[in-house]
Amino acid sequence: MHDPNRIAGLIAAQAHAQRQRLQIAAAAGAVVSVAAVCLLGLSGWFITGAALAGMAGMAAVQAFNYMMPSAIIRLLAILRTGARYIERVAGHEAALKALARLRPQLFDALASAPPERALSLSSGETSARLVQDVDAVQTLFVRKSAPWALGAGSASSALLAGLASPLAGGLLLAAMTVSCLGVMVIARRLSDPAGKEAQIAVGALKDRLTALEAVAPELKAYDLNDWAVQQAASAADRHDSAQIALTTSAGWMAVWQAVVTAAALAVVVLVTLGAPLPLTALAALATIMGMESAAGLVGALHQNGAAKEAVARLDQAAPQVLPHDGTRPPPPSLTLIAANTNLRPPHRLGLSGPSGAGKTTFIERLIGLRDAHPGEVVMGGIDIASLSPATRRARFAYAAQDVRLLNGTVRDNLLLAGPGGDDTLWRVLEDAALAERIRAEPLGLDMPVGVNGERLSGGERRRLGLARAYLRTAPWLVLDEPTEGLDAATEAQVLKALERRLVENKQGLILVSHRTAPIQICQTRLRIEAMAQDGRVVVTPERQKAVV
Amino acid sequence: MTAASPPAPPAAVPPGVWLKQAGAPWRRLTLLAGLLTIADVVPAIGFAAGLAMTISNFATPGAAAPWLVLAVVSLIARGLVGQVATVVGARLGRAVKTDVRRSLLADLFGRGGRSNDRLTALVEGVGALDGYFSRFAPLRLAAGLSPLLIIAAAAFASPVAAGVLLFTLFPFIAGMALAGTAAAGESRRQFQALDRLSGLFIDRVRALPAILAFDAVGRTTTEIAAASDELEQRTARVMRIAFLSSGVLEFFSALSVALIAVYCGFNLLKLLPFPVPETLDLSRAFFVLALAPEVYQPLRRLAAAYHDRQAAEAAASSLIVAETQSGRPVQLGAAAPAIRFRDVTIAYGPASVVADFNLEIRPGQIVALVGASGAGKSSLLHLLLGLAPLSGGDVEIDGASLSQTGGFAGQVAWASQNPVVIPGTLRENIAIADPAACVTRILAAASRAGLHGNLDRLIDERGGGLSGGERRRLGLSRALLKRAPILLLDEPTANLDPASEQTMLDLIRETAAGRTTLIATHSAAVAALADRVVQL
Repeated sequence: MHDPNRIAGLIAAQAHAQRQRLQIAAAAGAVVSVAAVCLLGLSGWFITGAALAGMAGMAAVQAFNYMMPSAIIRLLAILRTGARYIERVAGHEAALKALARLRPQLFDALASAPPERALSLSSGETSARLVQDVDAVQTLFVRKSAPWALGAGSASSALLAGLASPLAGGLLLAAMTVSCLGVMVIARRLSDPAGKEAQIAVGALKDRLTALEAVAPELKAYDLNDWAVQQAASAADRHDSAQIALTTSAGWMAVWQAVVTAAALAVVVLVTLGAPLPLTALAALATIMGMESAAGLVGALHQNGAAKEAVARLDQAAPQVLPHDGTRPPPPSLTLIAANTNLRPPHRLGLSGPSGAGKTTFIERLIGLRDAHPGEVVMGGIDIASLSPATRRARFAYAAQDVRLLNGTVRDNLLLAGPGGDDTLWRVLEDAALAERIRAEPLGLDMPVGVNGERLSGGERRRLGLARAYLRTAPWLVLDEPTEGLDAATEAQVLKALERRLVENKQGLILVSHRTAPIQICQTRLRIEAMAQDGRVVVTPERQKAVV
Repeated sequence: MTAASPPAPPAAVPPGVWLKQAGAPWRRLTLLAGLLTIADVVPAIGFAAGLAMTISNFATPGAAAPWLVLAVVSLIARGLVGQVATVVGARLGRAVKTDVRRSLLADLFGRGGRSNDRLTALVEGVGALDGYFSRFAPLRLAAGLSPLLIIAAAAFASPVAAGVLLFTLFPFIAGMALAGTAAAGESRRQFQALDRLSGLFIDRVRALPAILAFDAVGRTTTEIAAASDELEQRTARVMRIAFLSSGVLEFFSALSVALIAVYCGFNLLKLLPFPVPETLDLSRAFFVLALAPEVYQPLRRLAAAYHDRQAAEAAASSLIVAETQSGRPVQLGAAAPAIRFRDVTIAYGPASVVADFNLEIRPGQIVALVGASGAGKSSLLHLLLGLAPLSGGDVEIDGASLSQTGGFAGQVAWASQNPVVIPGTLRENIAIADPAACVTRILAAASRAGLHGNLDRLIDERGGGLSGGERRRLGLSRALLKRAPILLLDEPTANLDPASEQTMLDLIRETAAGRTTLIATHSAAVAALADRVVQL
């Protein structure tokens, strides 16, 4: 199932979508190289020719056509500038547009991976992937014009040098080949490893920072500030070192190019001995500019390691997407095999048991936040292990024990569950005993809750999670410790509203709690005692009661 | 009620001034990087001279040979000098980044605040300083001096051409300044868009379980696509301005070079329509012409690095750390202290969470704070850590007052309502309460808190591998491990079944021995354990 070229495929699709811009960039890049080579070569030829004519006397001056070359020089200057602007804008726009489309696709792929894998991602690392790694991929688009620029530059400079001596042209091409091969070696030996390390290090740094930031209050309590600073700083040092190594490798590429250019210059000048002096000047300057047309390729090779590592890491992050099985979800009746219990909405099931016995794990398997165990639960006659997590999730509205809130407003958090007007939102807040608190806020529903709801108390976060679950239409409402952290009066208020809602909506309830009051509203009560060796939960009926 | 007090708005330091201050400790390294960048002038002049003399002496190979060698050596030297300058610049960038990062980190962990922005500042923001110090700062130094040095060299061959070059410098510099101002605003907006996208990713991945449970992947993807598009548009705008301004500069430098070429050519042809005090020969003309583009090269490199400056200035505001009014920490004794709350008021906003709260706790007492959710139980605990604002009154612990110390963090054993988990082993997670603790004490704390089994098992950031109950026990094991005279417990038994809670009660009693203890709780069983119950 693992397709190692998924990301490469996405990138190729984007390159195809942006092909028009990329073609323009490549054509403009070629024009830049040719114009630059001709501009400098022609200038050298012109000056030298003028000097010779000047020395030869008035007749030669009259014969020397200075209008034509100087006009061409100006034309070339305009051409070079304009083409370079077009190349850069077209190339970068193609890259930016492609990256902007890639990011959401990648998030979607990450989120659609098998749940246990998707949920094991740490947020700092994922953010590094979607921001830095995707940025590193940019070079794959921008560099597409580099070979064209190099090709055009080498052809035109070899042609000009060939005017002085065909051998010079041939030697120049050879020198350019040597230059490129050397740069490739430096790229493989120095840039690739450094670029790869830099990408890894920035992910590790973000990861470390996110982890440490999350413990900040506890770190403060235990006076571990300096330790945390040290931890983060050493992760950052690793990234800095990799960046310096990368920069240095680029410097070595430049040194190598300078050496080859110098050698090529000496050789070209030597083999043009005997040719007219203006042509020698032209050959010398064309050599220098021709060698420079490899700059784009050098830059691309320099960033190649980082790009390759980025693609590999993105591939790893989004290895496969579970296909939606596309079938309609089965009827919502549930059979808990271990307890030999059949349930259908509006039945109410209460689960209790010692902490650590696996209540939350069992719930997460059931509703599709974990991979299901075969032989544990049957839904509508089908073992849930053979249903996709997305199909299972459609059957449940879940309020988790560990409420995850978006860094947005109260409204944003509620609307995560689905669309709803203000009246609907206030009604669910009312039923979750949170309306009064939110109404007291000047911004009301638009009150920002902060990062992971830090502006709300633990109890308030939980009730916002409950209100959010109320908003979702699903046959089963699944509540994990919904009244934990509430005082008895608020708990009673919440449970009363819950019972009314269940009757109104003919919704079933699966409730996990160790408190008596919530369990009391359930008709079937089961205890989850422990996890068996095979990972399945051990369920015992607590007491059957047929009272509504 | 965990919101920390909003940090004081940073003093309005202009970004440019702040950047200068940040680089101040590394002035000598900055100077060295600048001088090395300027040193590029020497091989540039050598190359121009070598090439000019080679061409003009071409008729006599013996005379041309040394000049060809000079050109070749200069070209190679140029590459090497550039490499040394790059490496020194990179080291300068690293030095400044390390300094700034440290002060940011110290502030982040000192205040205990949480925010996505701070994280972005630490990675992307500090990263933006690199280009400023490693490239822009040395180039700025070079841009001021290198053109003049090259013009001076050109003056040896042709004073008139040197004069023309000098004259063209002024409009060139004016054009550069104009382009820079136009791009500054766009660059700042681009940085903000990057900030937003990065923060959005972190937040939505954190909330992924809820997003999955509510089938909201599609909607979240749309949201991310919008932020991603915004970043693309902002970046494209910044790039277009940068490319346009560098294109204009390139064109201008090409025009200036053409002007010199025309002057030299006409001078050589003796066709100049006006009298000049010099007559050029091929070597002089070629030399001046080869040097002409080099005059603008440092300025164009500076313009190309202008984006680095803009990025750094845009990031600067998020990197400025406000002066902390740090209290004078007081070392409490090892013995359990008395704690006195006098007219304490805690207000995060206009409404106060706790108002005029008074309480006296005797040394070694266990006090349970009970009351409705949101009554301020947790806030009172956070107050002692310096995580909640003391808006009125004071807290005295053994004669030290909270208003002066700013908090008693570090001398408090603490277990939160929602203990946090760091990626690592269970053992490492316990040991953060007291890194100096020996294995025996860690094992003892673990087993007393009811954490059995393999302590070397790995736990991820989400606490995977630990059940809700085990996470509570982890928080308690830390409190057990920490040697501190004060114990603060925030809902220590929530989510535990009655039997587990019972075993925990014994533990809490044991842990509280010899400490003054404050417990925020809803549990009647926990309240029963306290010496005193305070209803809020």
